[in-house]
Amino acid sequence: MELTLNFDKIQSDNVSKYVKTILDKKNPYKNFKIENYKYAQLHRDIRSETLLRDIDISELLKISKNISPLSSNPVDLASNLNQWKYKNDDSFFRVSSLLKRDTSSINLDFIDYKNLFLDISQINNNIHFLKSSKNETNLIIMNNKSKDEYPKSIFFDISNNTNLNVIHFNISNYKSFLYFESNLQDNSHLNFVSFQSDNIHTRNEFYASLNLECNFDLFGLNINNYGVNDNYSFIQHLKPSSSSREIFKSIVEKGAITNFQGKIYVDSIAQKTDGYQMSRSLLLDDISKANNKPELEIYADDVKCSHGSTVSKLDEDQIYYFKSRGIDSEMAKKILKKAFIAEIIDSIKDDNLCDYSNKIIESLLT
Amino acid sequence: MLEIKNLHVSIEEKKIIKGLNLSINKGEVHALMGPNGSGKSTLSYVLSGKDKYEIDDGTIEYNEKNLLDLDVDERANEGLFLAFQYPMEIPGVQTSFFLKTAINSKRKYLGQSEMDALEFAKLMKLKAEELNINTEMLKRDLNVNYSGGEKKKQEILQMSMLSPKMAILDETDSGLDIDALRIVSEGVNKLRSNENSFLVITHYQRLLNYIKPDFVHIIADGRIVKSGDYSLALELEEKGYEEISKSA
Repeated sequence: MELTLNFDKIQSDNVSKYVKTILDKKNPYKNFKIENYKYAQLHRDIRSETLLRDIDISELLKISKNISPLSSNPVDLASNLNQWKYKNDDSFFRVSSLLKRDTSSINLDFIDYKNLFLDISQINNNIHFLKSSKNETNLIIMNNKSKDEYPKSIFFDISNNTNLNVIHFNISNYKSFLYFESNLQDNSHLNFVSFQSDNIHTRNEFYASLNLECNFDLFGLNINNYGVNDNYSFIQHLKPSSSSREIFKSIVEKGAITNFQGKIYVDSIAQKTDGYQMSRSLLLDDISKANNKPELEIYADDVKCSHGSTVSKLDEDQIYYFKSRGIDSEMAKKILKKAFIAEIIDSIKDDNLCDYSNKIIESLLT
Repeated sequence: MLEIKNLHVSIEEKKIIKGLNLSINKGEVHALMGPNGSGKSTLSYVLSGKDKYEIDDGTIEYNEKNLLDLDVDERANEGLFLAFQYPMEIPGVQTSFFLKTAINSKRKYLGQSEMDALEFAKLMKLKAEELNINTEMLKRDLNVNYSGGEKKKQEILQMSMLSPKMAILDETDSGLDIDALRIVSEGVNKLRSNENSFLVITHYQRLLNYIKPDFVHIIADGRIVKSGDYSLALELEEKGYEEISKSA
């Protein structure tokens, strides 16, 4: 069955020609040959009979403050929609979510807690986070049991000399299409970890813009999904001496399709950029698929950029080694899968959140 | 303990072992010596149960069981241990965690309760010290960035912690310096008892100066061509494989 989201309804006379062109020509729901949406299969209505799991967040709520959008500001369509600051084709998710939804703004500096929790599946609006204080903040973004087929946007504006850690749990969603945009001012740091599991049809877009001496870490983990789970990233280095490190790992089985498409863009003045991108997939059977597409676009001549991509299966010789020591193959496989993903979980610096994430992931690992 | 009769093994249609007979009793140490390509390592893999090897004919009885009926992990839990010539590197898995999982798998198989963390740590420390292994090393990923000697010591540590009934050492001496060779050999000698048996596979007589075998067998072209006591190893060192095989 073909799916065509009815974006016509939300078009009004006051949208610009620019927006109209995107909705018409750059619409991946209508045109499935758009390169940046190549593997997302948005034109298809992907369903599964699988009953998605409930996850227990009580422990997480004990160590974090549950926040809600403090103020809701209707988005100024004319100014925001036409302002596209990335050296890439505009994101259809961004445009359609801004047209469809209001945007709430949350200033993280007003909340005096270290760990903040927000369930975005309970909120219809886009969210705009602001962070300008030096307080250490771990922001947990939960997206669970979403059936929302319209894209939703999450923006981060991170001021000079500021740090933010984000943990995104994207778990047990029927449909979820998210656009994340992170704008890092000079000397700021963003550590972003995205856990994705037990989903049927999802796409996450990660756009990040880095200024002078910024640092952006993006870690993604995709395990035990169904259907199509797609990740797209575009990281642009606009000023000198910033670094980005991106590691995506997926374990794909049961006929699922997991995609990673990511680009690092280095502007001609962004000398001394340090960019790293790695995508690794473990394919557990021969009916599943992993598509990895790493890209670099570099205009400066004094940079360090590397990328790599692997698709492999579990190593039979390693399993044999475990078995030769009395460890049965089921246990051996489980240990090897955990070893494969440990790097992502270990990237969470807060011990409590790392432990919690580990528990959640272990319960979702088959 | 172990009774191999008329064993024929091939891999991808190529015959490697061609009618091998070997009998190892409780408490005995046997050395198996032979040139490259004679089938030594193949025999060790077949005993441990690695797939890809085709058993064309023959029987292997281990502890009154048909060894060939058992899966690799079952053989290990029944007390068979193979110290690998090239131990696998397992990134992301801590050596100590691997050891603990192996020990508890065996205990579970034997219907025993799991070893608790404290008891395990004590045992590991004791055994590591015996082998002159720095316990810091056991916090690292299994065999990852270990030197050749460290890998071999690691294999012997695993062996000593699992205390197998039948241990097969596949060219454990290769890549070891004199000091490491002595330490590894002492580790093996500590395990020797009336209950445990060993099959020591090696190219060189040197290892046998440290681990004195009760029997020495020479394998050539997939069959044992000559058996004797320790003096056979000395004779071999003097004359070389070709002459000994010819005279057999």
